[in-house]
Amino acid sequence: MHEISLVQGLLSQLHDLARQNNMTKVVSITMDIGPLSGVVADSFRFGFEILAQEDALVREATLNINTTAVTYRCTGCNATQHSSGDKPDGCPACGELFLLAEGGDELILNTVEME
Amino acid sequence: MCDACGCHSPSDHAHGPSTHSHTKTVDVHESLFAANEAIAKSNREHFEEMGAVAINLISSPGSGKTTLLEHTIEALKGEFSIGVIEGDIETERDADRIRAKGVPVVQLTTGGACHLDASMTHRGFHQLQKEPGGDKLDILFIENVGNLVCPTSFDLGEHHRIVLVSVPEGPDKPSKYPKAFTSSHTFLITKTDLLPYFDFKVEDARRDALQLNPKLRVLDFSATSGENFDQWLAFLRELVAGARE
Repeated sequence: MHEISLVQGLLSQLHDLARQNNMTKVVSITMDIGPLSGVVADSFRFGFEILAQEDALVREATLNINTTAVTYRCTGCNATQHSSGDKPDGCPACGELFLLAEGGDELILNTVEME
Repeated sequence: MCDACGCHSPSDHAHGPSTHSHTKTVDVHESLFAANEAIAKSNREHFEEMGAVAINLISSPGSGKTTLLEHTIEALKGEFSIGVIEGDIETERDADRIRAKGVPVVQLTTGGACHLDASMTHRGFHQLQKEPGGDKLDILFIENVGNLVCPTSFDLGEHHRIVLVSVPEGPDKPSKYPKAFTSSHTFLITKTDLLPYFDFKVEDARRDALQLNPKLRVLDFSATSGENFDQWLAFLRELVAGARE
């Protein structure tokens, strides 16, 4: 459950942003979570909801999570395909089984709406 | 100050959502790993100043990380200066085992956390430097908390990440815990002396792991029986030589 430590990091960043911008409440947060980030979006959301209850700044904030896609490049013919879910079984172009993953490992705080 | 709402804007500004709003959206576009990565980068610089190659060992509890280190230290301590940072939730037991081999070691206890992060590693490294012989290392092993999931998301500043799976755990670990294999450089299949007693096909584990990460280097050996252990030692010599270039 390392998502909890990552949520703690997010909350401390939100406090910094609120202070810098003279804001007292976070309204919404938009994040990108890649399927290869090692972070489970549902666990992250769960951790956020639990910790936000204890924190007046973010208690009413909405957390929006976008799942990003991974690009899989074929080691045989270099063809690429995209997936935001399971890894494809092989290359649709040549049937090669070995595919290299590119991207999809991000955990990004995009925008924070405050008032 | 604005008379209408008390904000810091001048009082004559127009009110309305298009011209003035009390909400503000800030574009951050920053990774939540950024703070950890910044510390990891500084750790890497510390390791390099010392001339050490840093290796992060990740596996389930009981795969044989500490046993591997005991045998490795035994075999190589005349050749290289080795130091160890041990990560566990509780106890000094692993550090005691390593200390008994006569090399500098620091035990980090996370007190519940399921992984090491760069900041804990930073603290551990400075403690290690104060141990006798800890200020000049060729190889720094960082034994992560036994867990195939959480440690994979945290760069500690290591040069090389190694994932271990022991024969009794079964060959399905690469497929079940992909991030441990996609984020590692090398995959060690350990306790191969137990192959006769388990339904574990080395080739299946190797194939599944390579399918996840075609660049992965795969070694299989037993530290206790010594079978293929030379290949592991040769691999470490190669890493140290690479770091010295």
